[in-house]
Amino acid sequence: MRHGNDTERVNAVAAGDRRALEELYLAYHRRLARFLARFIANFENVEEIINDTFMVVWSGAKDFRHASQVSTWIFGIAYRTALKALRSQTRAAARRFEEHADRSVDPTAEAEQHDWLSHGLAMLPDEQRLTIELVYHMGYSLEEIAEITDAPVGTVKARVFHAREKLRRHLPALQGGTWDEDRRAL
Amino acid sequence: MTEHREVAALLPWFVNGTLSEADRRRVDAHLSLCARCRDGAAAERALFERIRGSDNAVEYLPTASLQRFNARLSAAESAPNGAPRVSPPRAWRMPRALAAAVAVIALSLGVWTVTGRQRSGVLATPPHYRTVTTPENRPSDEVIRAVFAPQVTVVELQTLLAAAQLKIVSGPSEAGVYSLAAISTRPVDDSLAMLRRQPTVRFAERTRSEAATTGLP
Repeated sequence: MRHGNDTERVNAVAAGDRRALEELYLAYHRRLARFLARFIANFENVEEIINDTFMVVWSGAKDFRHASQVSTWIFGIAYRTALKALRSQTRAAARRFEEHADRSVDPTAEAEQHDWLSHGLAMLPDEQRLTIELVYHMGYSLEEIAEITDAPVGTVKARVFHAREKLRRHLPALQGGTWDEDRRAL
Repeated sequence: MTEHREVAALLPWFVNGTLSEADRRRVDAHLSLCARCRDGAAAERALFERIRGSDNAVEYLPTASLQRFNARLSAAESAPNGAPRVSPPRAWRMPRALAAAVAVIALSLGVWTVTGRQRSGVLATPPHYRTVTTPENRPSDEVIRAVFAPQVTVVELQTLLAAAQLKIVSGPSEAGVYSLAAISTRPVDDSLAMLRRQPTVRFAERTRSEAATTGLP
């Protein structure tokens, strides 16, 4: 039986319905992959985090009380899973980061602009970076991000505020400068 | 906190369009009076546009991921303790490049590795040795098994398979091996020869006879 909405699917998953779990998985895979691919190194690891997330959905659905939207709950699980993965990858990521910084590039190329933006984002602490992605990339509201990250609204505002300040300091192009200036700043 | 700071803290949600009506009116009213905050809003919009515009173009295959997820969930549930378990941290896992290299070596020796135990996260599962010709758990429509270079992108892989008239029916396995099925009546040997000419294909072997592949749509 196909379920009509996410609430029905989660209720069915709580009752042990694997078909409902598959429906949820397919409904969220693309959105989660878009979010995770911004800071997780490769496709295989993105998939692993998504699968870790749905293992938690499978075992935790019976405890979900629908106090928040299903999408917020699932993104909250993915957020915590990604944070754990990022912390375990810190050393390897730092090495990649250094290699990236040593490259000689043409800063006017569009692709390189993306690289330097990624570079700027990668300099942020994990919580700030993930929160920035939730705001600007995924388009979540302040209250939804507070639920996803399990943090007070004031903390979310502060994380985003400090992240923006760092990004602007390191990427002056965001305030009318050039990418060349950005590169020197980095 | 001054009105400037409070409004500045709301700007990210002002530009992503999710502020409540009351907060949006408050920000609008302040911006109409404050040039400094208008500059801040413009910078905020630039950051928003740049981050949104930097989305990557990688295409994901949810159904292939779902197959692997289902296999993992089934393995976890049939484990002695029966409880689904989240994978251990990725840091100690075998990198894909290494896994692919192991696959090539293992296949040439006719022996599979046991890395599947590590990746599945179900460490209580007993060691699981298989030979390359072990038929169990293979898709019934598999005609070719292949290992691709670790750096191949999803788009490149899709293009290659479309040209060879093949589709992925399962995989990659723990050692990086994909099971491929035919999507046309094109002779499997032609598809196999085409795969073997590609530098991104590390290994390809036929697994079914021609007679077994007839009757395709």
